Amino acid sequence: MHKSSRLALYHFWVAFGLFVPAVLLGAWQMWMRSPSPAPLHDRPDIYYASVTLHGTIMAYVLTTFFAMGFGYAVAATSLGRPIRGTKAAWIGFWICLVGTLMAAVTVLSGNASVLYTFYPPLLASPWYYVGAFLLIGGSMIWVVLMSINMNGWKRDNPGQPVPLAMFATTATAYLWAWAAIGVLLELSCILIPRAFGWTNLIDAALGRTLFSITLHAIVYFWLMPAYIAFYTLVPQAAGGRLYSDTMGRLTFIMFLVFSLPVGMHHLLADPEHGSGFKFVQSFLTSLVVLPTLVTVFSISASLEIAGRHRGGRGRLGWIRKLPWDQPMVLAVGLSLVMLGLGGFGGIINMSYAMNSMIHNTSWVTAHFHLIFGGAVVIMYFAIAYEMWPRITGKALRSPRLARWQLWLWFLGMMIVTIPWHITGLMGQPRRIATFDYDISTVAPMGPWVIASVIGGFVLLLSALLLLVILFRSQLGKRVLAAPMQYALAVNPPKHVPVSLNGFAVWNSIVLALMIAAYGYPIGQFFFLKAHKVPAIEVTSQSVPAQELK
Amino acid sequence: MTRSKGPFKADNPWRRIGWSLAAGLVLVSAVLGFLVLSREQQNGPPLSPWAAICAGLGFTSSTRAADEPQPPLRTPTRIAWTHETFSRISGGNTERGEFVAINCTACHGENGVSSSGLYPNLAGMKAEFIYKQLDDFRAGKRMWGAMNGIAQALSSDASADVAAYFANRTKANDSHAADNDGEYDSAKRLVNIGDPARGIAACSSCHGPNAYKLGAPSLQGQQPDYIERQLAAFAQGVRQNDINEQMRTIARQLKPEEMRDIAEYYGGGRPGQLAKQ
Repeated sequence: MHKSSRLALYHFWVAFGLFVPAVLLGAWQMWMRSPSPAPLHDRPDIYYASVTLHGTIMAYVLTTFFAMGFGYAVAATSLGRPIRGTKAAWIGFWICLVGTLMAAVTVLSGNASVLYTFYPPLLASPWYYVGAFLLIGGSMIWVVLMSINMNGWKRDNPGQPVPLAMFATTATAYLWAWAAIGVLLELSCILIPRAFGWTNLIDAALGRTLFSITLHAIVYFWLMPAYIAFYTLVPQAAGGRLYSDTMGRLTFIMFLVFSLPVGMHHLLADPEHGSGFKFVQSFLTSLVVLPTLVTVFSISASLEIAGRHRGGRGRLGWIRKLPWDQPMVLAVGLSLVMLGLGGFGGIINMSYAMNSMIHNTSWVTAHFHLIFGGAVVIMYFAIAYEMWPRITGKALRSPRLARWQLWLWFLGMMIVTIPWHITGLMGQPRRIATFDYDISTVAPMGPWVIASVIGGFVLLLSALLLLVILFRSQLGKRVLAAPMQYALAVNPPKHVPVSLNGFAVWNSIVLALMIAAYGYPIGQFFFLKAHKVPAIEVTSQSVPAQELK
Repeated sequence: MTRSKGPFKADNPWRRIGWSLAAGLVLVSAVLGFLVLSREQQNGPPLSPWAAICAGLGFTSSTRAADEPQPPLRTPTRIAWTHETFSRISGGNTERGEFVAINCTACHGENGVSSSGLYPNLAGMKAEFIYKQLDDFRAGKRMWGAMNGIAQALSSDASADVAAYFANRTKANDSHAADNDGEYDSAKRLVNIGDPARGIAACSSCHGPNAYKLGAPSLQGQQPDYIERQLAAFAQGVRQNDINEQMRTIARQLKPEEMRDIAEYYGGGRPGQLAKQ
């Protein structure tokens, strides 16, 4: 096995290996909240530990390991040469893995039920924060390696356009580096010192503001592998060409620029900031529809090119001619449906005024499960199916099962999130362990919650199928796999403007925008406001059942 | 591609487009956020541009609420149980007090034992209690036509003297109230145990005989009609000079017949004038 292939494979296995138990936790959480009695339904303390572990694995572990593994695979295959710095990459892998295990064990011990978003002044055991710091900090090695590999290739190939896949991967790495600044500062300057007892108080408002830097950009970090697949793998799998290489580059540049100075729309109901900056960042948030719509347009155009090439006629006849039996094509179709529905819901969340209708209800949970758990993760599956033969050297066994797996994931996610949207509008708060369904305002939510539990177990079945398919394929016979091929553009780039071949300008613009958007909101804590409060330590004590009533 | 075509050369259109777009977006959003959105107020006229910017930054003009007319401060009494108050009361002189008390005998009876249910017995009451009631009458915290005028005519020292005088008299009927074999069962329970379900403390835990609390009068042998009328006055909020509202809170919970029973229980079972009517 090639060195970079093994690197990618290990990352993918950590990502998917922890993904499946996290889905199991998610399914149990839904059952626990439902009117039907679940195992351990009288243990809300376990519910909160479970939510924390589910969120930590899905948001940090699955995504970071997947993005790193995908990045190494793309760097090796798109640049057509071995990765530089494999040793550093392995060091990074082990740092991240140690951090993951440290955080997971602490959560399982019941001493870190603070949810993956930390929520100061809630305070967990310091080892949870140290674990998260190692996981996120360790991934910065990957960021540096992606930058070194892209810039090294540019030096060795002067005047050549960087392949779109590598350009986009490097954009992802820079985006993650910018995003991680917030959470790494929060962990190292606020949470870890307090958790070890070096400080007495906790500046909750500053901590939440710092985390907001991470909290929205991290979502685009999760999203980027899916978008890279849209642009570079989907047209190829559909048997066509990419509609426009330049649109791809602009999309990833816009994601880098517009996903960062926008996090304060996660603080719309927080008192520590004035309305002005909340509006400015909400406004900038709305610009993220630009790269999204450009992508929907490019991908539809690319698929149309493929469909017509395969003999499709008429206005919509090309759709039927697409190779829907290809996991990648099927996944993109299902993904776009979920992206569309979730995207419209997201416009409500980010609107300064409309947000208050659904703030902190299960609508929000439904939104990010549809976008991330649905539209993005289904592309992770498709990428894994596409990459597996290349990195293991074994053919993908049972493609039919893979199609089932993708359909089940899509259906499960719809059955989960549609009821959540509805109960959110009915006012069901999120992050609540138990509901009294005898209360007249809660009772009508019961049937919807039951429906979402069924969806949860459909998702669990799909996740188990994923493991089966990946295992079976890896145990199969070695075959000669075709090398990884990225989609060729209709007009392959001959010369690319310097600014669309690198990130110097765009990183400078991000820096300027971050200073404009966050300079005052963060600076005010140092000279105007003091928000230091005592921490609330989350202990492993369980609440006796009779106190719940 | 060489450095001369690099990103920091002005003729590179993407650099210009990127910077001007970013600057334009920040400008537009800042104008909308800080000047347009912050300008509008929910209650009140739009803000000036400077005030709107401050509001957008999170500085709210919280002075406005403080300027609004506030309801007048109401206190149940002027008396606070401080060392100063105690030393003033303990400075009361019984001989001077006897002279002052000549003015009281017409209603409160010779030696402070009243013959009418309209007027309370004063003999044997704690000096602190009498002093406080006189000050409350003087300040208008407790209203009873004649007493307000009389108390205003008295100086603070004269109040202490007359309080000391009456505190030294012996009580008219100190016979224990609880001898009325079962006739006042509900009253007996309320006085000695209270009614925890209704949040009613036992009367006897402040007004005797179990314990006497500062500022609370001893009720044994008091005129039953007087006690009943005071309970009704507390319940209706007509009398408001109980410092912590404890009597208003308790009296509101009592039924009229319970007030009557308590009054008779404490008053030693002597039927008063009101009961005859």
